[in-house]
Amino acid sequence: MKVCPRQIQALARLSVLELYRRKDLIVVFVLGAVILLPLALFTPFGVSGAARYMNEVALLLVWLFSLVIGLGVSARLFPPEFESRTIYPMLAKPVARGTILVGKYLGALAASVSALMVFYLAYGVLVGVRQGAWFPVVFVQAFVLHVGFLAVVTALGLAGSLVLTPSANLTMNGLLVIGMLFFGQRLPSLAAAQPQPGKAVLTLLHWFAPHMEFFDLRQRVVHQWPAIGWGVCAAVLIYAAGYAAVCLALASVAFRKKRF
Amino acid sequence: MATHGQYLRTGLLAIAVGLVLALGRTLSVCFEGRLPQVPGEDVVALVLGDARLEISRTLEDKADEYFHGGVRNVNCTIQSEAEEHAHEGPSHGDADHDHDAAHAAGTKAGGDLWQWIDGRVHEQTHKHLTGDQTVELLPWLWAATRLSPKNRRAYENGAYVLAYMLEKPDEAVRLLEEGIRKNPESPELILSLGEMLLNRLHDAVRAEPFFVLARQKCMSVPKDKTRAGELVQVRLRSLFYLGYIAKQRGDRDRIQRCLEEAEALGPDDVVVKNLHDFLENPGVGR
Repeated sequence: MKVCPRQIQALARLSVLELYRRKDLIVVFVLGAVILLPLALFTPFGVSGAARYMNEVALLLVWLFSLVIGLGVSARLFPPEFESRTIYPMLAKPVARGTILVGKYLGALAASVSALMVFYLAYGVLVGVRQGAWFPVVFVQAFVLHVGFLAVVTALGLAGSLVLTPSANLTMNGLLVIGMLFFGQRLPSLAAAQPQPGKAVLTLLHWFAPHMEFFDLRQRVVHQWPAIGWGVCAAVLIYAAGYAAVCLALASVAFRKKRF
Repeated sequence: MATHGQYLRTGLLAIAVGLVLALGRTLSVCFEGRLPQVPGEDVVALVLGDARLEISRTLEDKADEYFHGGVRNVNCTIQSEAEEHAHEGPSHGDADHDHDAAHAAGTKAGGDLWQWIDGRVHEQTHKHLTGDQTVELLPWLWAATRLSPKNRRAYENGAYVLAYMLEKPDEAVRLLEEGIRKNPESPELILSLGEMLLNRLHDAVRAEPFFVLARQKCMSVPKDKTRAGELVQVRLRSLFYLGYIAKQRGDRDRIQRCLEEAEALGPDDVVVKNLHDFLENPGVGR
């Protein structure tokens, strides 16, 4: 896979601009504000002072919106190019297919991470103002691991966009990501309780499906648990990088074999 | 200009709309009282139906999770101050105990790299909320009571947090009164209100009618095998409090009657022993 840094930079820049041109970010930000503002003013049984419920809802929205943006941006990288046939002039230029793929992936990732930064910044300021805790270490770790989550999600979305229709890609990857967030941790115990062939299927899922729950530090942030070790953080990021690389390698094979 | 066909279509449409409206009105009149929807119920009740209670219980579990500092499905025994007051027995635990020990999430890794990472990332710190921190439980309990007013336990837990953890017994009494209005058939809520008035507001005069009413409700509830044990316990606790208030007044006859009823319900119950103590040690005070 031949890649060129300057061409990658140009392709990535286009993807970031595309996100902000479509104003997706503004829509989710307004939606988040509409949900969170009434919650911020809420005093259950006339007693004020509760904050964790608000942090939990806010982080849930951040996760939901980041998933929507990450999958949405990555799944829309190639299909419009194929439909409008703008992929032909791009392929006619002296740009390797690998460069196009990596450039578009990095663009989608940069766009998603930039949106995530805005969300986390807003959340951090909200918590700082309400509770006086300004960007603790566990919060920084939650952001870093969330970036790892987006690295995997965008790679999955990109790979899916080359082999599936856009709606099938969004549905399959959405189900996979949400399913793994809910059940990823429990797959070994679920597999142990199943007869064959269910046991084999769940064991395969445990080994090969993306363990999205590794990136989820919401509980730790909301309940102010201590930070995890940076070594563990690095291990999770290596997992994310490895998984994203495998997805990109598969996407590269699909892109090379694709007939237009 | 509109053609005859257009006039006809508009007329037919208007007739169809009229028929639909008339049918809607006829159904509610003809089948009054037999429709699944109850007049006056809110949108949540109409949309969710009986699922409300299950969702409400999930929200209540969320409050429990918050109490344990965010640790899920933990089997932790902590004896409440309220129960100590209720039974006047020795304390079975320490309300301030904190489990600072870390709980590894899920099963042990056993050579599984993914489980090893997950165990490190989701290692849990089990630490109970105490004092003012317990205000964090209220949003979930509030949501549980609003989502299903039939969730009696949510009212009891909400009142407990307000009265015993946040030292707001007046708000707790208001919540229990609301719970009783919405669940008039529940002797548990009536007993809780009596306990709240006696233990937190030290108002035996206001509390006594609630113990009497709780005892009566237990006897008037239709025979239900699944609830029989619970109702006996509620009735025994009501008798204990009635005996306790009688002791405060020096009314030995009343204590004797409570004791006889309690012995008939559960001769080996701790309440019987306590009522015996009241009889053997008469006099004002506990």
